[in-house]
Amino acid sequence: MKLQVLDKAEISPLVEALMEDYRVVAPHAKGSKFTFETVTDPADLRLDYDTTILPPKKVLQPTKDRLATFTMGEIPQIEDVLEVTPTVVFGTHTCDLKGIQLLDEVFSRDFDDTKYTAQRKETFLISIECLSPCDENAFCKDMGTMTANEGFDLHLTELDDVYVVDAGTEAGEELLAKYGSAREATEAEKQELNQKLGAKWPKFNYKLNFEAAKLPAMLEASFNHPIWDDMGERCLACGSCTTVCPTCYCFNVADEVDMLLTQGTRERYWDSCQLEEFAAVAGGENFREGRAARQRHRLMRKGKYIYEKFDELGCVGCGRCVRTCVAKISIVESFNTIYNGRK
Amino acid sequence: MTKENTKVKVAFFDFASCEGCQLTIVDALQTHLSLLDVVEIVQFREAMTEKGEDYLIAFVEGSCNRKSDEERLFKIREQAALVVALGACAHTGGVNALKNIQPSLQETREYVYGDKADWYEVYPTRPISAVIDVDAFIPGCPIDRGEFVKVVKNVLLGKRPGIPDYPVCVECKLKENVCLLLEGKPCLGPISRAGCGAICPTYGDGCEGCRGIIPHPNENAMKDVLDEAGLTLNEIMARFTMYNAYQEDQIETAEKTI
Repeated sequence: MKLQVLDKAEISPLVEALMEDYRVVAPHAKGSKFTFETVTDPADLRLDYDTTILPPKKVLQPTKDRLATFTMGEIPQIEDVLEVTPTVVFGTHTCDLKGIQLLDEVFSRDFDDTKYTAQRKETFLISIECLSPCDENAFCKDMGTMTANEGFDLHLTELDDVYVVDAGTEAGEELLAKYGSAREATEAEKQELNQKLGAKWPKFNYKLNFEAAKLPAMLEASFNHPIWDDMGERCLACGSCTTVCPTCYCFNVADEVDMLLTQGTRERYWDSCQLEEFAAVAGGENFREGRAARQRHRLMRKGKYIYEKFDELGCVGCGRCVRTCVAKISIVESFNTIYNGRK
Repeated sequence: MTKENTKVKVAFFDFASCEGCQLTIVDALQTHLSLLDVVEIVQFREAMTEKGEDYLIAFVEGSCNRKSDEERLFKIREQAALVVALGACAHTGGVNALKNIQPSLQETREYVYGDKADWYEVYPTRPISAVIDVDAFIPGCPIDRGEFVKVVKNVLLGKRPGIPDYPVCVECKLKENVCLLLEGKPCLGPISRAGCGAICPTYGDGCEGCRGIIPHPNENAMKDVLDEAGLTLNEIMARFTMYNAYQEDQIETAEKTI
């Protein structure tokens, strides 16, 4: 598809039109921060947000999600809950786009997670290019996520007066044609786009002292590094770093029954490897009892284990875990400390 | 399960407390009527006149504040197959245990009861688990009615009560609250037991740890974080001890001050 443009004043009507047929989820202000919320009034949508507290993964993997209902009579009846809400996620940053691409792999590669994939099929992603860094904690340039060539249905880049719209899929093209009033980009607009994309590059800084591609090998040699004990000393094990991570997907499943034990529901909810009970098993053994072992596990997941399983690093450089940590533990600093001290 | 004779007999008791947890149960009985399909309440001073002594599960609100209260607790323990500590006072000693960390228990007694101080029997505050074995606890000041219903259900099913061991931060983050600590406001969320739905931080008030401290908390790191938030050592200790002043090893020292 040729590059198209939307006048800035056309964003609200586009969202409004999409709302007729879709749940539109987009960044909204919440106090001094932002969160992805279902749009009820397009005027509340904030495309100028820095980052959100939780990533948009919550649309595809809700924090608490009903998997099934069941009855408990003589012959128990179990029924899957597979309701899907057609959804447009509007305004994801490219780091979060990468996070969703990784989740797509996780929930479909070896085993089709019907719940996730059913919702994913009916979810369309409209991303937006970051033209300057959201804050000092992001390290998207290191992780190769400060722009995107794929993973979106539509991708917006803000120019002075218009948004350039790039379609990444046929579905995106159709969405734009059906709900938007875009026109073809002029030569001048294409030039402005190139200028803007070129100008953004030097505004972003590298935060890692090394190439991220070296992470798996570096971590391979760092299992007994003293940094894990240092992190364990500082870590409160509050689980915030994993809760806000766009690539953490661990969950637990529990049944809830009614008082008379006639029926119940099976729910899955987000879990965290940073919590003490996470790796505890029947009999009382806990495979990652100490906070140091749990922090090591988190960084190993991001820089090594996920790469080994899915061929992609498990970190998208969004910086949320750094921002959220009250103990000021930084994945960037930790990786750099390991790199700087290697023999 | 609905037949009268298959209902589990339960009783409610209170010691040093504000009775707010029992009021929460009265609320729960109105919003979760099905509770009465599975239990029969034989004793509940706060809500009824009858006093049956034939109960299987005892719910105990309040901390133990007098030597003479121990006898009553022993009797409850002897009768009940399961004893459930109800709310912060019974669970951790609650705010009542603040008196344990005052310089002199006798002075505190006089401060509270004035010239009638000697009329009132006092000893260092204890959670009921310091006096009798406790099978389960429902934390909080006051308890959460949904959690009460859940614990009753789990206990009747023979399951663990299902009280979370993870901190309030988990629930707070899932609610996408703006972090109070990151805004420089004091909050004990990182080391306090969840299950309340982070209700205080959700309304802008820092967590005070009414549901007790999680197992193996990183208290040093928490002190550093509160220090960073601009609290003095005294303020930090005040927050730590609001609901969690009771320590087993303080009893002997405190007893000498009366």
